[in-house]
Amino acid sequence: MSTFDLKDRTAISGVGDTEYGRPLNRSAIDLAAEAFGNACDDAGISTRDVDGLIMSVGSPLGVDCDSLAQMLGLDLRMYSQTWTHGRFTATCIQQAAMYVAAGFADTVACMAALGSSGVQAGLNPRPFNTDPFAAAAARDEAAREGGGGHGQDPVYGIDTTDVGAALVARVYFDRYGATSEQLAAVSIATRRHAAMNSGAMNREPLSLDDYMQSPLLATPLREPDYSLVAEGAACVIVTSTERARDMRKTPVLISGMQPLPVGREEFIWTYPGFGVAQQERRAYGEKLQPVYKMAGVDHSAIDALFTYDVYSIITWMALERWGFCKPGEAADFTQGGRIEIDGELPINSHGGLLSEAHMFGWNAQVEIIRQMRGECGERQLENTEMMQWANAYGDSLIYRR
Amino acid sequence: MSEPYTKMLPGISNLNRPYWEGLRRHVLTLPECDDCGLIWYAPSPWCPKCHSRNFKWIELTGKGHVNAWSELKGTHATLLGAPTDGLPDNAVEITLEEGPRLISNLVGVEPGEIRTGMPVTVVYDDVAEDLTLARFKPA
Repeated sequence: MSTFDLKDRTAISGVGDTEYGRPLNRSAIDLAAEAFGNACDDAGISTRDVDGLIMSVGSPLGVDCDSLAQMLGLDLRMYSQTWTHGRFTATCIQQAAMYVAAGFADTVACMAALGSSGVQAGLNPRPFNTDPFAAAAARDEAAREGGGGHGQDPVYGIDTTDVGAALVARVYFDRYGATSEQLAAVSIATRRHAAMNSGAMNREPLSLDDYMQSPLLATPLREPDYSLVAEGAACVIVTSTERARDMRKTPVLISGMQPLPVGREEFIWTYPGFGVAQQERRAYGEKLQPVYKMAGVDHSAIDALFTYDVYSIITWMALERWGFCKPGEAADFTQGGRIEIDGELPINSHGGLLSEAHMFGWNAQVEIIRQMRGECGERQLENTEMMQWANAYGDSLIYRR
Repeated sequence: MSEPYTKMLPGISNLNRPYWEGLRRHVLTLPECDDCGLIWYAPSPWCPKCHSRNFKWIELTGKGHVNAWSELKGTHATLLGAPTDGLPDNAVEITLEEGPRLISNLVGVEPGEIRTGMPVTVVYDDVAEDLTLARFKPA
């Protein structure tokens, strides 16, 4: 079966989000309702018009479909959920596109919502009131049978997702002679973008000196290499392209998609063959990824790249995975402003997870749509015909106007 | 009387019990496929390379090298306000001589001494009466 039938058949017809911060002291259901309502307003539809919902359920204890649908009085033909994870953001939107194209739903809201208020603590042995919420979530994930999938091993005191990224960074630095000074360019770019985004959590300018003087955490990573754990919600509405054309805003078409791969050669923070976790070490590259074939373009057609920059090093791995540069070249590629909004390949114009908020990449989807409609004010990109969400871990969406 | 062990315990199951029982005896053991010869981690119901269900537990040399490392001055959790006490000095990914990689900690090194490729050997760390961890030290 071919996937080509799905090219351009569905579109994002509305987006909505909330404030981002930590802690917001707001209920996740309240945040979900706000983002959802905003997305419906943006599309020019009633909240009652939505007949499908795909949730990235917040961890550790997120909003379940039943609660949300019942409390908001929704009447849905189609529901699906993943848990909040950058790896499942494209998955949710891809599912929505397929359900819509197959006729199972006409108007599917896809969203993530995270809020630390309203979680009922009684059944959990962990003291929610004293333990930092997100740190506790990380430990929950690490405690699963087989670990959390980010290279954690809590038995050895490694229960957070950053350490696996630090190990990848170390291998990359040693193998290619890359430096912290070079890695700084990723965080400096996103911080510059965030300064032009009133909703971003960290809008402080970041210089190379600031970066080099910032605290080391899991070496070689420093504080600015870490994303900003956040609460908030973001929502996108998927409809057929045909319906989207009759709605309020310019539709943004889902032109290409590539699902999330998994296996022994996959490790969340890098691409196959890199030689960490249980991966072999072998050459990687040259092959044009299927998402480009589906969209009928190659990566040179991409006006801006959006990626899950939970740690700065992961942006390098995404660039190499998707063929924007060859293995070992991302350190050089990202220098000289190339990935800034006035550069050759702008990356994460909203500030990304590093500087806007860690909303699992849902905020990136919202930004892409707003950029393609020309709604981004000071940080508006010049060329916005085609944009890509593409990640180090191998999933992607290509959007076009 | 020593302090009770309060850190996270391994989830011991029918799949990995031989591994943890081996460590208790100060032996590093992993499954080896009878059909394709793969020695693998983590223990699983069949060979992840050829899917053969025929495998046996073998004793490893406990030797390997540092494939990747990080000194832990803090983590994402400590950045969010979690306490730093209990954080190990380092995280290392060891490539065992036989091929599989393990996440562990390197002992017997000063800050700044860890190097990629450094040869290491296993140290059986009896952290509790019924729990031994496989840590590593420079060979």
